[in-house]
Amino acid sequence: MFAFLHHYYPVFVQGTAQTILISFIGILIGIGLGLCFVSLRRSKYRLFQYIARLYIAIVRGTPSMIQVMLIYYGLSKMIDIPQIQFLGSGLDRLIPGSIALGINSGAYTAEIFRSGLISIPRGQTEAGLSLGLSNRTTLYGIVMPQAVRNVLPALGNEFITLIKESSVLFYIGVQEVTAQALGVGGTLYNFIPPLLVAAVIYFVLTQLMSLLVSLMEKRLGNAYLKVPE
Amino acid sequence: MTKHIIEVQHLKKHFGKNEVLKDISFTVKPSEKVVIIGPSGSGKSTLLRCLNRLEDDYDGRVIFYDQNICQAKTTDLRLIRQRMGMVFQQFNLFPNKTVLENITFAPIKLKVMTADQATQKAHELLKQVGLDDKAAAYPQSLSGGQQQRVAIARSLAMNPKVLLFDEPTSALDPEMVGDVLGVMQRLATNGMTMIIVTHEMMFAKKVADKVLFMDKGVVADEGTADYIFNQTSNPRTKEFLSKVMLSS
Ligand SMILES: Nc1ncnc2c1ncn2[C@@H]1O[C@H](COP(=O)(O)OP(=O)(O)OP(=O)(O)O)[C@@H](O)[C@H]1O
Ligand SMILES: [Mg+2]
Repeated sequence: MFAFLHHYYPVFVQGTAQTILISFIGILIGIGLGLCFVSLRRSKYRLFQYIARLYIAIVRGTPSMIQVMLIYYGLSKMIDIPQIQFLGSGLDRLIPGSIALGINSGAYTAEIFRSGLISIPRGQTEAGLSLGLSNRTTLYGIVMPQAVRNVLPALGNEFITLIKESSVLFYIGVQEVTAQALGVGGTLYNFIPPLLVAAVIYFVLTQLMSLLVSLMEKRLGNAYLKVPE
Repeated sequence: MTKHIIEVQHLKKHFGKNEVLKDISFTVKPSEKVVIIGPSGSGKSTLLRCLNRLEDDYDGRVIFYDQNICQAKTTDLRLIRQRMGMVFQQFNLFPNKTVLENITFAPIKLKVMTADQATQKAHELLKQVGLDDKAAAYPQSLSGGQQQRVAIARSLAMNPKVLLFDEPTSALDPEMVGDVLGVMQRLATNGMTMIIVTHEMMFAKKVADKVLFMDKGVVADEGTADYIFNQTSNPRTKEFLSKVMLSS
C-alpha cells in the first residue's frame, strides 16, 4: 500500500520541511503580535484597547482560509515579492502565507498572554515599581516570565493548532505536506495512502511540539520548588 | 531649608465618590519613626501608597527632600522610589527568582551596582536578617516570616532613605511576628527613617517617635507614643486602643 513512498518520499520530505518552516515563522510572528496586542489591550488609552479588541474579534470571527486568501491576494497587489523558489514553493506564496498564519495566531496568543497576566497578583507589579524599576522592566522582567510559565500549556495548544492549521496554505499554492499529499494522490488515482502519510507526519510533528512544551514546563516549574542543599 | 525628609501637605484622595483621605498633613524628620494606627478602612494603606505614588491622582502635595512627588516626571519618580523602600503585607517576593536574585534584581537592572557588588551586598543584608543560608532558596520554600525578612532585605538593597511598612506582620503566624519585628527594631536603632502601619501596639510603643491615629480618612489624633498610649483624651483614640488591646 505504501510502495509509492519509494518513489515519492522526497516530495513528502520537502512538504514536511515547508510545514515546519511556515509553522515556525507563524509561531514567531504570532508571539510578536501577541505581545504587541496584549500591550495595546492593556493600554490605558481606549483607542488602543479598541484596536486590539477589534483585531482579536475579526481573527476569531472569520474562517482562517478566507484570512489567508485575503492576505495573499492583498499583499501580492500591494508589493512585488520575487517568485524565487524555495523548497518547491515561490516566496511570493510562502511569505504572505506565513504572515497570515502569524496574524491568525497572534490574536489567540494575545488572549493567552492576557489570561496569563491576569493570573499574576497586582502585588508583583507594585513590588517592582516600588523598587524604582520602570513599567517596562517590571512587566517584562518580573510579571511576564511568571505569566508565560502559567500559560505554557495553553501556548502549547495554540502552537499545535497552528501546525495543523498551516494546511490551509494549500489554498494559496504553498507546497506543504497536505498539498504534496493531494498532489501525489492525484497522480496515483488514490488519495487514501498519501493522506494517511500526511496525517502521520502531522501527528509526529504535533507530538514533538507537545514534548517540547512539557520539557519547558518541567524546567520552569521545578525551578520554583528547588530547595537549597 | 527643610529639615524634613517627607512633608505631606493637605493630601486628599478619593476613589469615585468614596473620599478615602481628607486633608492629611504631617512631616517626617531624618531617623524619625512614624507609626500609623487606626481601624480597618481608615485609609492607612492608601496614605502610604500615595507617598511613593503607587496610588496616583490625588490632591495636595508630598515633598520628598525638595522634590514634589506628585509632579515628578516618570524618570524622577523612579529615582524617588529607589530611595523610598516599601515592605508589603503580602511580602510580594518574586516567586520565580531565588532569594538572592530577589535582592539583586533591582540594583543590577537599575545599574546602581555591578552584579558582584549586588551579590556581596545581598549576602550582607541576608546576614543582617539572619537568612544567609537561604540565599539559593526559592520564596515558596520559606516560611512567611522568612519571606518578609527577605522582602525587607530586598528593599534595603537599594540603600533607601526611608522605608514604608504596610502591616508587615499581619499576614504572619504569631510565632513568626517576633523575628520580623526584631529586624525592624534593629533598623530603627541603626537610625533608619521609617513609616510603619501596624496593629502591633507593643512595638509601636517601643519604637515610635510619633504616632498618627487615623480614622475615616483624617489624622484624628497625633503625638508621641507616650501621649497616644497614656495621655490622650481623644475618645476615638481611646476606644480604638481599648479594642485592639483587648484582642491581643
Ligand atoms: N483601589 C481602590 N479602589 C477603590 N476603593 C479603594 C481602593 N483602595 C482602597 N479603597 C477604599 O479606600 C478605603 C481605605 O482603604 P485602605 O486600604 O487605605 O484602608 P486601611 O486603613 O489600610 O485598612 P486595613 O487596616 O484594612 O488595611 C476603603 O474604604 C477601601 O475600600
Ligand atoms: Mg491596609
